Amino acid sequence: MATDTITQRVANRDLAIPRYSTRISRIVNARPYRSTIGAAVATHRGRMILLAAPPLVWLIALHIGPIYQMLKISLLSSYPLQHGQAATFTLDNYAVFFSESLYFSPLIRSFIYATAATATTLVVVYPVAYYVAKIVKPSSRSKALLLLLLPFWAGELIRTFAIIMLLANRGAANVFLRDLGIIDRPIPMLYTPFSLGFGLVYLVSLYMLLPLYSAIDKIPNHLLDAAADLGAGPFTRFRRIILPLSRDGIVSGCCLVFLTTIGVFATPMLIGGPTTVLFPETISGFFHGASDRWPVGAAFALIMLVTALTTAGIFMRLVGGKSTKLM
Amino acid sequence: MRYLISDAPRTMLTICYWAFVLYLLLPLTLMMAMSFKDANFIAFPVGDWTFAWYVKVMQDQQFLSACVYSILIAAATTIAATVIGVWIAMLIASTEGRWGALIFALACLPAVVPGMISAISLRIFISTIDMPTGSAAIVLGHTVHAVPFVVVMALTRLRSMPVNLVDAARDLGADSIVAFFRVTLPYLGPAIFGGMLFCVLLSIDDFVRTFFLGGYRPTLPMLIFAKVQGGMSPEINAMATLVLITTAAVGLYAEYMTRRSRSR
Amino acid sequence: MSRPIDRRTTLQLLGAGALAAPYIVRPKPAWAQSKTLNITTYDKFLPQEFVDQFQKDTGIQVNIRLTDDQGKQYNLLAAEGANPSTDMVTVAGHRYSQFIASDLLQPVDTGKIPNWKNLNPAYQDAPWARVNDNLWGLPILAGYEGLAVNTQYVKDPQSWEVMFDPQYKGLTSYIVSDFMTITMQYLGHDGDFVTYTDKPEMAQKATNEARDFLIKHKDMVRKYYDAGSEVQQMFINEDIHLAHSWSGPAAKLIADGHPIKLSVPKEGTFGFVYTLNIVNNAPNAENAYKFIDAILASPEVGASMTRQSGFASTMAGVADVLTEVERAATTLPQDQVERIVFFSSVNRDMKNEMIDKATAEVKAA
Repeated sequence: MATDTITQRVANRDLAIPRYSTRISRIVNARPYRSTIGAAVATHRGRMILLAAPPLVWLIALHIGPIYQMLKISLLSSYPLQHGQAATFTLDNYAVFFSESLYFSPLIRSFIYATAATATTLVVVYPVAYYVAKIVKPSSRSKALLLLLLPFWAGELIRTFAIIMLLANRGAANVFLRDLGIIDRPIPMLYTPFSLGFGLVYLVSLYMLLPLYSAIDKIPNHLLDAAADLGAGPFTRFRRIILPLSRDGIVSGCCLVFLTTIGVFATPMLIGGPTTVLFPETISGFFHGASDRWPVGAAFALIMLVTALTTAGIFMRLVGGKSTKLM
Repeated sequence: MRYLISDAPRTMLTICYWAFVLYLLLPLTLMMAMSFKDANFIAFPVGDWTFAWYVKVMQDQQFLSACVYSILIAAATTIAATVIGVWIAMLIASTEGRWGALIFALACLPAVVPGMISAISLRIFISTIDMPTGSAAIVLGHTVHAVPFVVVMALTRLRSMPVNLVDAARDLGADSIVAFFRVTLPYLGPAIFGGMLFCVLLSIDDFVRTFFLGGYRPTLPMLIFAKVQGGMSPEINAMATLVLITTAAVGLYAEYMTRRSRSR
Repeated sequence: MSRPIDRRTTLQLLGAGALAAPYIVRPKPAWAQSKTLNITTYDKFLPQEFVDQFQKDTGIQVNIRLTDDQGKQYNLLAAEGANPSTDMVTVAGHRYSQFIASDLLQPVDTGKIPNWKNLNPAYQDAPWARVNDNLWGLPILAGYEGLAVNTQYVKDPQSWEVMFDPQYKGLTSYIVSDFMTITMQYLGHDGDFVTYTDKPEMAQKATNEARDFLIKHKDMVRKYYDAGSEVQQMFINEDIHLAHSWSGPAAKLIADGHPIKLSVPKEGTFGFVYTLNIVNNAPNAENAYKFIDAILASPEVGASMTRQSGFASTMAGVADVLTEVERAATTLPQDQVERIVFFSSVNRDMKNEMIDKATAEVKAA
């Protein structure tokens, strides 16, 4: 029965099959394709299943699955279990966060640094992305991009040590200033809020650059030319055309930078100072400390997860404007 | 006069670009210079120069094998994460309202979880599904981490895609799959390219997940982290410099090839 | 402050005679014939020539996974549960009791290791190593928490007090949790919590005092660090002039000719031993025994570990293989050696919990 209907459908489809001039026709008209994918996408329902099923399976299995493991651990009284210990269900690990102001300030600090890093990166990178997308000749555009991408191949650890080499008391910046006679004793630049900010922007600027570039790149040139012909100055053109049309890129870039900086862990520990302890370091304390308390760490991580995603969501809703409809 | 005014922003932007390039490359140049230092620990200034570290690194079988392994893993991760990421982005773009927002939040989850926690939960997760540690598990872990970046990049472009493009393709008789490959995918081009770059970088840079999910063959970051543990030696800088030079050369060559094939 | 005498297991026992090793006979498991051995350890701890020779001699394939950090090793083993992917791990002293308490290690049967006698007698059956009546690993390296100073700027300090001297404001660094215990010693308390059995209030009071002292002097600190490579780099870059440092990283700087001096101040400090351990439920435990025996047969392995880490070797004969400079960097004057007390395995839960909490509080302050 079932085979009949499929054959019938395929047979009916034959009439409607379009003619493609290229190699695609060979694939699309081949029997294996027509009886499988072709049949599936022939109906609206089939299309929706094909579109929705694989992503949903992936998201549920691999995005929720591991987080669910963490959620389970965060509700246990202790884990990993010590000899002869038994774990019971508890909400205490979440209470730890809310009952002690101690852990609140690193979270707030994380948000402040992440927000500041996002804003700084946006301001610094936007002109760069615009320059590459619109001013550089198309033929040398890839080269201009390559130059910007180069440092990111060195890896996070190496880039962090590069910043240490630059800002340390005997680092390049201090030696340079001393040779010029501007200072006679080194300025402590490393292990301060400044070095942390400097390093965060250094690490994450790529996450801003690529979305912005991709967004600015697609703004049609003729729009800008037309505006210029109509007498719009550079500032007006920027405010009325470029900025609104690159909004998607701004939203995406800010989200990527914000979400990355909030969870970043190694760099703040290496170049931050005694007053810049961020929340991921607090969390990792529960996984690295001598009394490993995974459940508390897991609970804290989930708290951070929810607050960070909510913040990003609110931001997208506020700035994203019309695109929220699609969301 | 008019030229002067219209050129001012252009000059400003040029200065911005080169200042940013300087900001990116200056610390890195320092790191590369350190690789020539004739001492066991890096320090500024370089002092005595030597090529010995490069000789050592080039002969280091472990380093070369780690590079190859890292590249293979990055390639597999990139392919998997791009396909899945774009697929998820397509789903989000065609789902309206709250469900779309929910799927988007879900898709972003792995980007926010700190590495150690993500590594532990993935490790527990793969043992619950009876998956052995090793290359496949590493690729899975890296892919989970990279997917959000592809989704965000692809969505950026999808959202502003004129709907009538696909409609037109359908009117002309293309079925959905063909419309996707012939119209949507090319339009997403630059965004997907950016997303793939993120995948490669995230995968090549990942240490914690690899350590938890991997077998006994080290990847490049595992090797570098293990070496740093014994002190920051110029040897590590030499490794990083070699990686940089190679990627720059490959990048320039690829750029040259695409330009040549286009001009034909 | 008085302490039980049996806890004073210091390096001064180096010359003491060997104690009889206990012979625990356990049945050979069925999987003893496997031909592989998986080890998680630090870079360059096991020289390639040694591993090659071992593979040739025994036909056992050795796989080495490099690690950089104790926390990751512990978390990985804990996550793997009953099916570990590694047979041997390298554990630092302050983690020893934690690994044991979490059932991650199996006891070592020294009867299966003929070369156990090559271990320095002080480490063959040390009191700190004996937990629940068993030995749990091969001691490989001994270290202590020392006071490291840049001799160009700081002259021969005798007390931990120098870490709080206003003249070095912003020029000190330490690992918060480790220095907390030292500060407790400095303030006249028991930083290792051994005397606090059934006296949690007293322990909490002592911890709080040290915590408040560190918070009060927070402006002295340039950076709270975590890894040995960080303190090395801070000394080289002259970001700091003095630091609390594990002996290994500082000794490496000294051996490399940097103007660093490492000492044990008069208030004393803590010692610890790195151990190579067989993992609980290790699939290839028998091969691990062979490997341990081979390590003990070759002083070159111990020397390689010392060179790489800067810590002193626990194995006899290693000192003869080291160079003069390497030996000098890892050696202390006798009077300072006597100030070192090994971390105990008593009251660990109390200590860890209180110290970790206080550490978070110092960092957040």
